[in-house]
Amino acid sequence: MKVKKWPFIYVGIITAITYIPILVTVVYSFNESKISSVWEGFSLKWYVELFRDRDMKEALMNSLILALLSCSLAVLIGTSGALGMHRRKSKLNDAVAYVSMIPIMIPEIILGMVFLSIFSMMGLPFGMVTLVIAHTTFCVPYIYSMVKARLVGMDNSIEEAARDLGASPFKVFFDITLPMILPAVLSGVILAFAMSFDDVVISIFVTGPTVNTLPVKIYTKLKTGVTPEINALATILLLVTILLLTLSSLIGKKKYGDQK
Amino acid sequence: MKRKTMIMRRLLPLLLSAGLAAGSLAGCGSGSGNASVGGSSDTSQSTAVGGSLNLFTWDGMFPQEVLRGFEEETGIKINYANFDYDEDMLAKLEEAGGGSYDLVIADDYIIELAIAEGLVQKLDTDRIATYSNLNEKFMSQFYDPDNEYTVPYGAGIPLIVYDPALTDVEISGYEDLWDPALEDNVAITANYRVINGMALKTMGESFNTEDLTVINQAGEKLMELAPNIRVINDSNTQDFLISGEVAAAYLYTSQVYLALNARADLKVVYPKEGLGYGVMAGFIPSKAPNAAAAYAFLEYINRPEIAAECFEFLGYYCTNKAAEEYISEGMRQFIVLPQDAAEGEIIRNISLEAEDLHMEVWNQFKNACN
Repeated sequence: MKVKKWPFIYVGIITAITYIPILVTVVYSFNESKISSVWEGFSLKWYVELFRDRDMKEALMNSLILALLSCSLAVLIGTSGALGMHRRKSKLNDAVAYVSMIPIMIPEIILGMVFLSIFSMMGLPFGMVTLVIAHTTFCVPYIYSMVKARLVGMDNSIEEAARDLGASPFKVFFDITLPMILPAVLSGVILAFAMSFDDVVISIFVTGPTVNTLPVKIYTKLKTGVTPEINALATILLLVTILLLTLSSLIGKKKYGDQK
Repeated sequence: MKRKTMIMRRLLPLLLSAGLAAGSLAGCGSGSGNASVGGSSDTSQSTAVGGSLNLFTWDGMFPQEVLRGFEEETGIKINYANFDYDEDMLAKLEEAGGGSYDLVIADDYIIELAIAEGLVQKLDTDRIATYSNLNEKFMSQFYDPDNEYTVPYGAGIPLIVYDPALTDVEISGYEDLWDPALEDNVAITANYRVINGMALKTMGESFNTEDLTVINQAGEKLMELAPNIRVINDSNTQDFLISGEVAAAYLYTSQVYLALNARADLKVVYPKEGLGYGVMAGFIPSKAPNAAAAYAFLEYINRPEIAAECFEFLGYYCTNKAAEEYISEGMRQFIVLPQDAAEGEIIRNISLEAEDLHMEVWNQFKNACN
């Protein structure tokens, strides 16, 4: 059978459009010049500046911790919510589904201002606490919808068989259900992590004087201009992400074989 | 066995929810005492120096060496918090009731609003030993006419920059941008007060006129400029000039610096009709947790050598007179205002109707440019 060329060409173009900007960012991190439109020669000075930048490293740490905490909480809430809703066939199901999507449908600036008002009314200390609450709120919908979709397509008979054989609900969950929904949970977590790590508007509103997150720090450079130090940072993050994903897929292959 | 699981099923969720509720209430309880305090700081004594400084401004306003130097000298830790737009800063300050932050540096027009809302405390300028170093030209402005509340830090003066190799027009003022020889060859920023103001200036009017007929006339004048505009871009306007895509551009101060740095052959024009400028200034919020740290910082950054270092890094006009002699020769043309520059007028807040009319005029102009 003749292999058609057009799909490959199409994929090639889309890949190029998607990745060329990223490639340019990486290349310009080695630019001697401060201005991104002029290439002045190879230099590692921006990487040096990045390692000396205490505030930047602190902001990166904060962003990572925040994303991890928010995703963990969101996983707990989202997964248990999806499971609970899946079990109970009540009329409220649709309503809950709609309500759960609200945090990602509302414009961020409105959500940010609302959080600001509520948190200051409650007297919560602005900082990591408020950031985690806010981020968890908009991370939950991603995990909830992913897990819910997976549960709908899942075969209930396996769970029921386990219950018939005398397994307790906890055992059923940890031994049967969880492994089956794990891919969905992980996809949700990765998406939620990206959303949380990347968030600017809500973070600006609910953060306190002591906690600065990375995207906020970069975004607020707009009065003073962005230097290729940011390109260096982006390159490093890209490398770490690629490394982690490669590792995790290798481990996944080893552990589960070809199991889908 | 059955009863045990029944109890577990009902009780466990209840216990968990109760635990969650208790946890959040505990957070509230300890939180309400800390709501307006950031980090570990000394709230009661206003003369004790120590603890931390909660600085709230855009990122990149101070070089790392200056910040670390301050921390080493005074032992005060700097918590550098950021905002993107002045309006967001005001929203946060309002919610905090004038607390949380010790020193805020923002644009002139928003400070006027903050002072009117009672979120700014009066400055005891005696506590800033280096106060006399400041350049009076940038003080006593509309937002703080008696200099009771603010300390200037950087001024921006939009200027025209052009490439004499790409055009024969000798640009000396705003009016020259209207020259038909510059068709499709001009880049401008996207600040409507500044751009509409260009037209106002060519008519001999003030940047801050509230006369609606005059603003309309400026709008009509602006429509004649539309054919010459190739690009309207607020963040990287200078790139179009550097790359040669346009022959002339009207740029913010930081962009002028970037453009001239990249291409020394470009020419800067101080428009003869008059300069418009904006000032950034620092103020201490009314309920700042550690005002003493703010005073220490203000004194520190206004020392001549340190101020020079700051402005060379920042790229905005130097607002500290004593620092001017410490600025290197190469930077002097960018951040020190020449003595013979035309009279400047600060762009200030105007009435709501005038503001709305400006927006209308600007939107029409933008549509015509496309």
